[in-house]
Amino acid sequence: MSELPILSILLLCPLVAFLVTLVLPESKATAIKAVNAVAGLVTLVLSVIVWAQYDETAGGYQMVEDIPWVADLGIRYTVAVDGVSVVLTLLNAIVFFTGVLSMWTLEKRVKEFFAFMGLLVFGVFGVFISLDIFVFFFFYEVAVLPMYPLIAIWGSTRKEYSAMKLTLFLMVGSALLFPGLIALFVESGGQTWNLVALSEPGTFSEGFQIFVYPLLYVGFGILAGMWPFHSWSPIGHVAAPTAVSMLHAGVLMKLGAFGILRIAIGVLPLGAAYWAPTFAFMATVGIVYGAFVAMRQTDFKYVIGFSSVSHMGIVLLGLNTLGIDGTNGAVFQMFAHGVMTALFFSAVGFIYDQTHDRDIRHFGGLVGQIPVASSFFIVAALCGMGVPGFASFWAELLVFIEALRVFPLLGIAAIAGLIFTAAYILRVLGQAIFGPKNPDWDHLVEPTAWLTLPRIILIAVLLFFGFAPSVMLDMIGSVTGGK
Amino acid sequence: MSSTSIGLVLLGAPLMAFFVALVVFRKNHLAAMMTVLLSGAATCASAVFLLATKGGTPAEQASRAWIHAGGTSIEFGILLDGKTLIMGTVVSVITLCVQVYSLSYMSHDPGRGRFFAFLALFEWAMLSFVYSPSLMQTFVFWELVGLSSFFLIGFWYRKPSAIAAAKKAFIMTRIGDVGLFIGLILLFQTAHTLDIQTLNTMSVATGNFDSGRIELITLLLFVGIVGKSAQFPLHTWLPDAMEGPTPVSALLHSATMVAAGVFLFARFHPLFMQAELTLTVVLCVATFTAVLSSTMAMVASDMKRVFAYSSISQLGFMLMGLGAGSLFAGYFHLTTHAIFKALLFLCAGAFIHEYGTNDTVAIGRAGARKLRVITLGLIIGGGALAGFPLLAGFFSKELIIHSLHDKPLFLAGAYLASFMTAYYTFRVIFLVVFPNQDSAVQVEEPPADSHDDHHSSSLPLHAPILLLTVGAIAVGWFGDSIASVLGLVAYHPSLPEMAPAIGVALGGILIAWFDFGRKSAPQTGFISKLAPLHTLFKNGWYLDVIYKKLFVGAAQAVAGLLFGTENHVLDKASDMLGQGTLTIGETTGKAQSGRLPLYIGLAALCFSGAIIALGLEMMR
Repeated sequence: MSELPILSILLLCPLVAFLVTLVLPESKATAIKAVNAVAGLVTLVLSVIVWAQYDETAGGYQMVEDIPWVADLGIRYTVAVDGVSVVLTLLNAIVFFTGVLSMWTLEKRVKEFFAFMGLLVFGVFGVFISLDIFVFFFFYEVAVLPMYPLIAIWGSTRKEYSAMKLTLFLMVGSALLFPGLIALFVESGGQTWNLVALSEPGTFSEGFQIFVYPLLYVGFGILAGMWPFHSWSPIGHVAAPTAVSMLHAGVLMKLGAFGILRIAIGVLPLGAAYWAPTFAFMATVGIVYGAFVAMRQTDFKYVIGFSSVSHMGIVLLGLNTLGIDGTNGAVFQMFAHGVMTALFFSAVGFIYDQTHDRDIRHFGGLVGQIPVASSFFIVAALCGMGVPGFASFWAELLVFIEALRVFPLLGIAAIAGLIFTAAYILRVLGQAIFGPKNPDWDHLVEPTAWLTLPRIILIAVLLFFGFAPSVMLDMIGSVTGGK
Repeated sequence: MSSTSIGLVLLGAPLMAFFVALVVFRKNHLAAMMTVLLSGAATCASAVFLLATKGGTPAEQASRAWIHAGGTSIEFGILLDGKTLIMGTVVSVITLCVQVYSLSYMSHDPGRGRFFAFLALFEWAMLSFVYSPSLMQTFVFWELVGLSSFFLIGFWYRKPSAIAAAKKAFIMTRIGDVGLFIGLILLFQTAHTLDIQTLNTMSVATGNFDSGRIELITLLLFVGIVGKSAQFPLHTWLPDAMEGPTPVSALLHSATMVAAGVFLFARFHPLFMQAELTLTVVLCVATFTAVLSSTMAMVASDMKRVFAYSSISQLGFMLMGLGAGSLFAGYFHLTTHAIFKALLFLCAGAFIHEYGTNDTVAIGRAGARKLRVITLGLIIGGGALAGFPLLAGFFSKELIIHSLHDKPLFLAGAYLASFMTAYYTFRVIFLVVFPNQDSAVQVEEPPADSHDDHHSSSLPLHAPILLLTVGAIAVGWFGDSIASVLGLVAYHPSLPEMAPAIGVALGGILIAWFDFGRKSAPQTGFISKLAPLHTLFKNGWYLDVIYKKLFVGAAQAVAGLLFGTENHVLDKASDMLGQGTLTIGETTGKAQSGRLPLYIGLAALCFSGAIIALGLEMMR
């Protein structure tokens, strides 16, 4: 398999879709959607192939491609995958494909929408497979920037404000990251940006690590919805159109957590150890805080937005345990949460498209009116509550196992957060999905088979990894050693 | 066929039926119902067959690795030993009874297909819980049992009270689950395994575990049991859970699911026996719960609520037996209670269905005793619950009381609770059998809001009731067989040992006769003469009100506070940061006025200032 550069092909898929979309005229909306759906399907197939080809027993970085880019600065286009990237690449492909299908009914400026979306997905793939920190950062910015137009043009509810807020927050994050990354390059002798080389023990002194680590952690953490720098995220969810919410919560927030794992912790382990209690504390605050704030929200998307803050807190807590089970759980949770929120936003988006209303108090007994569409929401809700049988249960279990060992008090607080998670999710279910029906919405129609497809794919993925968690854990464990 | 493959049928059939029913139920209710019924029959047959062939033989386990964590693997599979064989049979027999009964009971409900689908989900989860070889699997299905309970309580999802009850049940049990979850993780970290047999072997041998650690872990496990088995202080969800259809109350909220907590205790009996402090806590909580909920049952007017309170109280009894060290007493009562309580609920359901009210007095006055089979079931089931000699509950309750003989305080509590049990049970029986149109008692419960006039075919309704009636008479005599399957020897108390308990039960029945049964009885009960007590019991000791004010109020206050923080502090801060940047930008922007003379003037000023400064410096 070493002949075929499968990772580059995977990376180019959304780029090709982007270029073709640019060439096609605006009038051919269906063709544009079809091109992107095909690109999504191809990336999905390719990422499954990557998964299958990755040798879990050998571990490490595989399918390496290495080409010099800016030789004078030591920047090289180096791509490869390890178990974690394999998992997240699959996640990105799933969300891309189902996101395109969820936007099938889009009518406004179809061409530009899918162009920006393709660009975003291209950037995300690039981040997940880059081994060169400079290239990593390049793709990172490529992924983040399309969010502004995507929200400001196609969004709803204070969309310009939200788009601006999101962009500013992410720019602050980048402003912390950039000096941090340059410091790594300079301090290591100015020869290489390669992650593997920089991760060699002894490259950086402990003092340097302690100084630079917070720059990287907070810089990436802002994108991961880290408390207290999360407030851009729920607002961004609310304003964004369905597929963008799916990508934003499903994948984009994972870029931040991935950056923390790959670069911040990977390159600066001593710094990570020094700061772990502080950041673990902040992560736990995020878990509980997100759940409580979600309890008071009245907009479907705000509830999901704050649930993301809470669930991403579990990811960050897992990463900060710096242990095998905790890291496994964190990566698993990135995946599970990505699929779950994609399902959440997809389900809510379907209701919003018909009603142009997202206030949960305006609904009631939806399951009697649109049982299939409501069932999608119910499944996502169950997954959000960490009910066994869905992927997120195992992810949370592993994080809690490690957290109770390393930070017992934080672990207990995080587990107690499950009660409040159940409370805010059941509140939405009880108000909008169950209960006496609101006759205003009797006219709502069920999704067509075509629109059901993406949701069914997402549910199937959640159930599959809920019942066969070891498939996922063997893959992640090839990196962390947790087999 | 090996016992493992029979186990596969046993666990696989309900799951498959669930998925089939889920796909077809909206188009074809009958297909969904029949699929589930068939799976129930297959499961029941397998469970009975396994009990018959494997009972009394050494434990057999078949499992494979599910996930790897903490350097070891966690298994998923099936464990066949005495405890699982008995409980599995009880669960599958009662499930089948309830399914047959529901054919008639739910025959006109528009959601009957969905109802059967969730019954199958419940059966799968409950049996996978029972036959589990590892605590991890136990926990997974413990949660799924709770989930199916949520859907079944909230089955009539348009009713706000049903949804509220379902939410309450889920959250109250989840509070317990958090304890269980932490206990599970700590146990895993201490023992590095979650295999039930290994854990129990390890706990018997001394020196394997630190004693303080064991106390902590068992206490946390007990928190989970308190939630699931509705013990004080987490019991308040169970009476509300009666909002679900009555077959659900019969199956989940009396006979099987709520017994899951007790079963878990029995499962880890050797471990709990190492924790003295925990055992004392268990006895205190269980005794208090048994007494507390009996007081509420004495004054409840809703027939289902009386039985719901009595379930709480009887679960307390089981835990008292187990906590006092007698595995057999607790387990035996678990078995007999499952049968007679399911019977009582099925009878209550039949009355409620027929007369469109939950109120015992109204049911009696409507002529309920004309339904002979059902009235007979009520009398036998009630007699068994009250501990009437030679019925099922009598034998098991005797054993529990006997196990407490060296603990006078708890023994007194047990006598008090059994007295009240006999009293409130026969209160219901007398109100139904000897209705008096002229007695002082008032009908308190409003008639059901959606009573339809479909009176259902009687065979599916009567067959399960008759079967369980036979069970409520007979099972008590099988103590020795049950003990031998568990690998224990049954204790047979002598007549003098049994006398006080018999006296207490008969005394309770006698007073009930005086209050409700005899010809000129006021039918209001002696408690109503003590008005403050009556009000206290009627309102469930105001615990719901207190919880609502204290905990729900606190949670909402915190949520409100954090909601405010989010909107007015964190969000505002970033907005102000943004606004501040803009203001600075505007101010500095004004400097760029474009007026050339000003620029030149300023430049000249700076330049000359610099020259002067330089000159001064050089002159020094």
